[in-house]
Amino acid sequence: MGNRRVRGLLAALALAAATGVAACGEAKEESSSSGGSGGASAAKDCGKVVLNEQAWAGSTANTYIAKAVLEENLGCDVEITKVAEIPVFQAMADGEVDAVLEDWQHTDEYAKYIKQSGTVVDGGPLGVEGHIGWFIPKYLADSNPELASWEGIKGNEELFKTAESGDQGMFLGGDPSYVQKDKELIKALGLNLKHVTAGAEPAQVARWTQLYKREKPVLFYWYTPQFYNQQYELAEVKLPERSEGCEDDAKSGGDPAQYRCAYDVTVIQKLFSKEFAEGGSPAYDVLKRMSLTNDDQEAVAKAIAGDKVDPEKAGKDWVSENQAKVKEWLG
Amino acid sequence: MAVASGRIAARAIGAPAGPWRGRPAQVGLVLLALLAAFALLRGDFPWPAALTWGALPGRLDSLQGWLLDQRTAEDRNVIFALFNGFRALADWLVTTLTDVLGWMTWAGTAAAGVLLVGRFGGWRAGAIVLAAFAAFALMGLWEPSVQTLALMLAAVLLSLAIGMPLGVWAGRSPRVHRAITPVLDAMQIVPAFAYLMPIVILFSVGPAAAVICTMIYAVPPAVRITALGIRGVTPATVEASQALGATPLQTLLKVQLPLARRQLLLSVNQTIMFALSLVVIAGLIGGRGLGDVVTNGLYSNAALALLAGLAIVVMAIALDRATAAIAERTDPARRHLTDAGRRRGRLVTLAVLGAIAVIVGIARAFGVEADYPDEFETATFVYPATIEDSLLAAIQSVLDYVQDPTSLIFGITEPIGNFLVQYALEPLRVWLVQAPWFATIAGLAAIAFLVSGLRPAITVAVMLGAIGVMGVWEPAMDTASQVLVATAIAVALGIAIGVWAAESPRVERALRPLLDTLQTLPQLVYIIPFIYLMPVSRVPGVVASVLYALPVIIRLVTAGVRDVAPAAVEAASAFGATRGQVLAKVKVPLARDAIMLGVNQGTIMVLAVVVIGGLVGSGALGDEVARGLQRNEFGQGVVASLAILALGIALDRVTQSRGRRVRGQPS
Repeated sequence: MGNRRVRGLLAALALAAATGVAACGEAKEESSSSGGSGGASAAKDCGKVVLNEQAWAGSTANTYIAKAVLEENLGCDVEITKVAEIPVFQAMADGEVDAVLEDWQHTDEYAKYIKQSGTVVDGGPLGVEGHIGWFIPKYLADSNPELASWEGIKGNEELFKTAESGDQGMFLGGDPSYVQKDKELIKALGLNLKHVTAGAEPAQVARWTQLYKREKPVLFYWYTPQFYNQQYELAEVKLPERSEGCEDDAKSGGDPAQYRCAYDVTVIQKLFSKEFAEGGSPAYDVLKRMSLTNDDQEAVAKAIAGDKVDPEKAGKDWVSENQAKVKEWLG
Repeated sequence: MAVASGRIAARAIGAPAGPWRGRPAQVGLVLLALLAAFALLRGDFPWPAALTWGALPGRLDSLQGWLLDQRTAEDRNVIFALFNGFRALADWLVTTLTDVLGWMTWAGTAAAGVLLVGRFGGWRAGAIVLAAFAAFALMGLWEPSVQTLALMLAAVLLSLAIGMPLGVWAGRSPRVHRAITPVLDAMQIVPAFAYLMPIVILFSVGPAAAVICTMIYAVPPAVRITALGIRGVTPATVEASQALGATPLQTLLKVQLPLARRQLLLSVNQTIMFALSLVVIAGLIGGRGLGDVVTNGLYSNAALALLAGLAIVVMAIALDRATAAIAERTDPARRHLTDAGRRRGRLVTLAVLGAIAVIVGIARAFGVEADYPDEFETATFVYPATIEDSLLAAIQSVLDYVQDPTSLIFGITEPIGNFLVQYALEPLRVWLVQAPWFATIAGLAAIAFLVSGLRPAITVAVMLGAIGVMGVWEPAMDTASQVLVATAIAVALGIAIGVWAAESPRVERALRPLLDTLQTLPQLVYIIPFIYLMPVSRVPGVVASVLYALPVIIRLVTAGVRDVAPAAVEAASAFGATRGQVLAKVKVPLARDAIMLGVNQGTIMVLAVVVIGGLVGSGALGDEVARGLQRNEFGQGVVASLAILALGIALDRVTQSRGRRVRGQPS
């Protein structure tokens, strides 16, 4: 009896599999015919483009701007993946992802994938410039103007004391996955600060905003462009001028003295998979010409993350308001 | 059938009372000696550089580089051909499942799920499945939910296809079982973050990579529980069948497998639960679905991340109840059907299949979409079809309250957080980090000897030594201090609540959905409120570990206390003991082994959250593992993961308690 039941089940499975295969074929047909809103012939030329969105709001902003442009003007079928920053290099090498629009200078991966194997192609700067630094709330800079430079913080460290920093002041470190050298910098500058890790960015934001809302002193690792900068008023702390051979990424360790300078400006890079770059897609030329300013990106990121506008809509809105720029990209 | 860890099922309760009772004084003495060593030699003996193998991370990095070269080489290794084949299979399975569910339209998919579960698991299970589908639809998360469902089904099918045969093998051969157990332990304790990058190199990104990373975590329970089931078949039955001339294969197919049926179904159930707990991580390497919504939401829309987390819980609970109900209802031992009854059953099945076909047909004919829509359109009006916006607004208002530093609750939680850091976490960290390393190793080994015996003591010493040699002594001691504090809190709360639940069935019933939620809600999600409420590093991580470990401890304690022989309780009552006395003098002491098992399991589960802790400021080993993926410091990440594994084994041995051995499953 049991056997018969099993056989029945197998038959059902076989049936399901058979309909599944049929379903698969049909679904594909449907998706290819529904791709183009901007003309059937254009759709055939452009085809599918896979953009990778990184976890932060700025990346969501430029990815959806690109999506809107490619879909409306070239009739591309844009798919968005959300692979983490480092694995996405392998994804591009495999042709699974066509483009990353915002990469913060992963030099190790550039050496490996762009120079060595050539499976990823440098797409030039996005136009957005990243800058990392030490920040304090503006109310603090107003009441204690001397805190706007590291020399002024020296001697006043106890202002930043919290439960977990003991006798020292607290320096709230950045997301451990970001480029940073603050432990070394604190040592090199001889500051009586304790470097405290808050963890990933959302956790770090939670920490300093909790202090900001109570108008308490806080000193932390932060960067631009960032949509929170439109919501909270911050002031940057002046660090020593950049000098020849000064390093920013303490990943490699060594003498703290070599990190004794302000962070450099980071040129945000576009990257393409080799397959996509050489495949003759019209989308490639447009993405290659695509360029945004920090303000463009922050405004759209603020709409998405701050005002909770649907990213799809936020991207389209920007495109319709900035037709002149988009025309340039279209060539 | 609870959402319990596979390890628990594989471990036993009720071994003879160990000699633990006489030992507290000796353990106390060891701790005192440790304190004295710390006071005298504080900071003088950090782990010596001479005993550190500094080249290890670099070696591991070059191993990864070699893999990458092999992968991109012109003439590929045979092994890579095999990997590629597996990748194609997994990719095909996920896309096919997704396409089938899409082809059936949302109405057809929901009807199929509800009717099939209803047919085989009863109307209550069917109703739960219906409620789950309704929840996905109303949350506006239909598409990611179905993507996740397809991913899970594929991962579970493949996990069972590998895990069950291995489990049968391990169940029949003690040698295989011994050889495979440490591998399974490692698969479950090593954080997924550590092996994401190698998986991406071998399998690229996408559904296949997500399935494989899920399988690494979901295969172990399948193997363990299947093996347990096979071993649980009484030897007499097996001997009888052999005596009657059955071949080994016949014995397996006709005797062992049918008799182990309940355990086999439990292993299906547990494999699903374990697979679901990796959804969020799988999202990082292109897994799509709810995991994606959670990780991206954390950065730009925390309310949406929470909503997606709830959808994962709904899916977990529905799948758990559905598989449990199906296991129960289709159990031949419980059904005494006549031939007529069987025939009727088959007819009902056919009718159900027919009904599904008709519904799918109608839905397709009327152009019902693949995914549940955001709005319904009529000729004149557009109606919103989901309540996503109001749900998000409600969650957001809770988050706003939590984020308000002037709120009442913050006034309570912030001092608690500060207290934990100042008076528990920091002193313990300083102690463990600054005590002379040899004293720490000797002391922990001595405690392991007193509590568990000689072999565990040696293991503890070897594991701690390995941590030092790998060059991560300090972060490992930092992590250990957090694990100890979290375990202490979890055990104290777990025993109190567990005993309470054992005394009152009503409390236990009320707790059940809460415990299920805590075990299946991704930790990244429930940690969100605590990063606002207790804004001090390490505390949110400790809270997350406590919440994760608590359900298992509560369940073990409840089961242990309730299973105390009624005769002992009656005897005590007959002698005039009050209820409190019975509890304190009879039930709890007799349930000591179950409670110790709770401590042991709690420690291991706390350790599993270390990496998540790294993401919210716990630093130490968790930080290094997370960074291994995010900044491609692969070698360092693997070393930190191995240290977590070594720490896990050491803490397991310290808390194992003597005399416990693999027996049956706690009933």
